[in-house]
Amino acid sequence: MAQTQAQVRTQAATQTVPTGRSRPFSWITIIFYILLIIFIISSIGPLIFSFFSSFKTFRDILAIPPTLLPQPWTWSNYATILNDSSFLRWILNALIYAVGALILNVLFSAMAGYALARMNFPGKNFIFVLTLSVMMIPMTVTIIPKFLVMNSLHLTNTYLALILPAMAQPFSVFVMAQFMKSLPKELEESAMIDGASRFRTFFQIILPLVKPALTAVAIVTFQGAWNDFLWPLIVLGSNNMYTLPLGLYFFKSAHYTEYNLLIAGSMFNTIPIVILFFIFQRYFIEGAVGSAVKG
Amino acid sequence: MATQPETPSIASAPPLTTAGRRSLLRQGRGGPKSRRSETLAAYLFLLPYLLVTGVFLVFVSLYGIGLSLFKVDIGFTTPEFVGFHYYQVLFNQLSDVADSDFWISMINIIKFVVVIVTFQTLLALVLAVLLQNSVLKKRPTLRGVFRTIFYIPALTSSVAVSLIFLWFYNPNGLFNYLLSLVHIPGPLWLEDPFWALPAIMILNIWTTGAAFMIYFLAALQDIPQELIEAAEVDGANRFQAFWNITLPLLRPAIFLVVALGTIGGFQMFDQVFFMTNPPGSPLNSTLTPLLEIYNEAFQNNRFGSAAAMSVILFAIILVVTLVQRRFIDTGQNA
Repeated sequence: MAQTQAQVRTQAATQTVPTGRSRPFSWITIIFYILLIIFIISSIGPLIFSFFSSFKTFRDILAIPPTLLPQPWTWSNYATILNDSSFLRWILNALIYAVGALILNVLFSAMAGYALARMNFPGKNFIFVLTLSVMMIPMTVTIIPKFLVMNSLHLTNTYLALILPAMAQPFSVFVMAQFMKSLPKELEESAMIDGASRFRTFFQIILPLVKPALTAVAIVTFQGAWNDFLWPLIVLGSNNMYTLPLGLYFFKSAHYTEYNLLIAGSMFNTIPIVILFFIFQRYFIEGAVGSAVKG
Repeated sequence: MATQPETPSIASAPPLTTAGRRSLLRQGRGGPKSRRSETLAAYLFLLPYLLVTGVFLVFVSLYGIGLSLFKVDIGFTTPEFVGFHYYQVLFNQLSDVADSDFWISMINIIKFVVVIVTFQTLLALVLAVLLQNSVLKKRPTLRGVFRTIFYIPALTSSVAVSLIFLWFYNPNGLFNYLLSLVHIPGPLWLEDPFWALPAIMILNIWTTGAAFMIYFLAALQDIPQELIEAAEVDGANRFQAFWNITLPLLRPAIFLVVALGTIGGFQMFDQVFFMTNPPGSPLNSTLTPLLEIYNEAFQNNRFGSAAAMSVILFAIILVVTLVQRRFIDTGQNA
């Protein structure tokens, strides 16, 4: 919103004050365009090249000189992958992990954010400071003991082991709390005068108003779980439980030099996120930055 | 993804509730009974979060520190208290670093972090400034398209990007083909002890630079345009305006990007695990601390020793981040 305002302002400025900038070929403009082209190519080039190459044959994939378009086109890479029954299972497992973490984390972090942003109770400041502090604990310290905890709970190699630690994340709580703080206080006061309970107020009044924050948290959680590699590697032990990134690792070990298959396999990991990105672009960026910079 | 921002919290100070508003509410809301029910309700809302964080972050961190004082191998013997034995062993290895996998991995990761943080911060800044700058200002739609394009590398997972770059780094792959066009004989990349680590640096810079671009975009949008215009009226050219006005105002964002990049970089794992075979090869040139910790725990079944390594790594990350805060951040957010 601030961005569009600024754009309108600068548009107006450039229209009313035609300064020396209208010189057609200042060298700074040339550098600008060169850099722009370089970065456009380096940003999408690898993905576009990989996408087209996923339709190449084994003989063609390392052809010199490389061509962008496959000659000939073949569906056989995708056919090979989809005939591999464990590959579909890995996609399903990754979906269970990502969707499970998403639903629970959105719900629980919204609940916690609501309490921290809009209720008064002893210990509130402590919990807020705790939330900020635990966000800074790197996974290096937690990953080994976390495995031992799962091991002694006999939860290794289960979906629960994946979802439990991801189902209420401090960063999401922080984003929710910051967002909910901005809502007017009168909202729930009038709801409570009408006799609504705290829980009804939360579900029926507050949640619908914080949809942008819910979406942002949902996307970040989904992306994190869908792409997660290290934790599944540590906590999962059998082929039928692997998530897609972990499965791709073993798929890579089995087809070490068959880049045509590897690239096609990687598309199953990348394309869903790219599609989500084009649908929810704004929320991706808000979710990633959070309120950290603007805070 | 190891270098993905996970904890963008450092530069932000939470606005805590004002005591005034709280006491006002308390007065308006009657006796201690309703206050108690409010407290109860609040803790019910917080319960799932507190349980998860309590177990999987707070308890687990303390457990990890305690674990480093014990000899633990799952399934064989009962844990045995060994005190600071593992720390002692690790620090004794400092006398012969070349012989110690842990310290080799530490030297590798320091090289890695210095290079990727420098270049990804620069890349992120250049991308953001390009998007924010003059020519695109008149065309907001076009700017949106470019922003989308520049952000694409950040969408790829560490696994997908490793698979793609594995193919690019093949001795007969894309990179060596491009180099051959300018008559440079390409190296063997991942099989060459000198080039393997730089190869992994390049793909990390590619993804993380794009991810951090949006932090700079957000910060650039908050800079009042009038300041820069005023400087230009006063005769400053664009470089002077950028160097003297924009850059100092970006300090908090630079600190955030450098700190998050450092924290993520020190914990790099996926890419090396995926791209080198056996992980860390050739000749330990891509061995990272997290990889060494993983091997120590899950290959050698020495969980206590692995925990001691994690604690040392954590301490190093903490010290580096604090030093960065001291030198980059001006303290406005402290």
